[in-house]
Amino acid sequence: MPQQVIKVARPTKIELIKLRRRLALATRIQKIVKDRVSILILEFLQVARQTVEAKRRLLDEFAESYRTLSITAGYHGYIALEKELAASERDLGIAAGLRNVGGVRIPAFELKEAGSGVRGYSLVDTSSWLDRTAGLSQKCLETIVELAELQRSLELLGREINRTKRILNALEYLIIPALAVTIKYLYMKFEERDREEKSRLKRVKVLLERK
Amino acid sequence: MAGDLPYERLLQESLKHELKVVNAHLPTEQKPLSDLLREEYPHVVCKDGTTHLFSRKELRYLAGLIDAEEQGSLLLPLLIEVGAGSGEMAVLCPGETAAKVIASVLDMTVTPRQSKITIYKPQLAVIRRVLRTTTQYIFHLKSSNQISLP
Repeated sequence: MPQQVIKVARPTKIELIKLRRRLALATRIQKIVKDRVSILILEFLQVARQTVEAKRRLLDEFAESYRTLSITAGYHGYIALEKELAASERDLGIAAGLRNVGGVRIPAFELKEAGSGVRGYSLVDTSSWLDRTAGLSQKCLETIVELAELQRSLELLGREINRTKRILNALEYLIIPALAVTIKYLYMKFEERDREEKSRLKRVKVLLERK
Repeated sequence: MAGDLPYERLLQESLKHELKVVNAHLPTEQKPLSDLLREEYPHVVCKDGTTHLFSRKELRYLAGLIDAEEQGSLLLPLLIEVGAGSGEMAVLCPGETAAKVIASVLDMTVTPRQSKITIYKPQLAVIRRVLRTTTQYIFHLKSSNQISLP
């Protein structure tokens, strides 16, 4: 695509200096934005890998905890199990905050640790299967919170990469070439003016000599 | 003067914004690991007024890498300097403790030069995977007046 020359009010040296400054700034920003994009892509790929790994882990943990729960239910019976678990309900605490990755604010979630190790059911009347089920469920919860953080991060990083790439493309294919072409055009204008000036002087010289 | 190129003013504005946000996430001050371990919600305040939360798991991992006396001298978050246009990066480590931590994470010996450890992309990926919340990027705004014209 041929580059469009930026319209300048007058082809003067001042305009040329201004354009050269703008080109220097644009080149500098382009380098920074390019670095930022590469860093964001690196982070995005890492988060994507972690998300896949967390999802797989969560599915395994769910499968394992359901299997253990069904064994527990078979061992104790549904009614006895429900009676034991009725008192074990507790509130979940999640500490939420923000993390910053290369200028992108992404959420950070952390499951608050329970103060005591007491789970709310009688240890005397229940088997170790219930303990195992409770432990696995706790693990599932931790992974769910981790996955929530990772998925949101993935979304935000993707959006930011898109936005930054658009800026980088605009710089690379629009702004910088347009500025460079305009500077070149101004140089040509100045050379043209010099040539005109020279031929005019020659003409004047000839006229003076004739007199 | 903004030229008549379509959307040029818009682009100029977004470029200015880009320069503003690129290092806005840097912490106003780094905190020692020993202090962060004592905090209920370990965090630092960033230049743009937001907070950066550290993962407790990571802090415990870092505490396991160094001695109890060294925890006071390890300032967090560790800053990773990204040079404009160059492929290499550097971890800023004002003390020996940070170098020790980086060496442990990378599982190799590192030599800090002028309080900086030069790293490359594969090593950066390793560091960021292990220390997700305890490291932050700093973009180096190098000024160069060399322009190559067509």
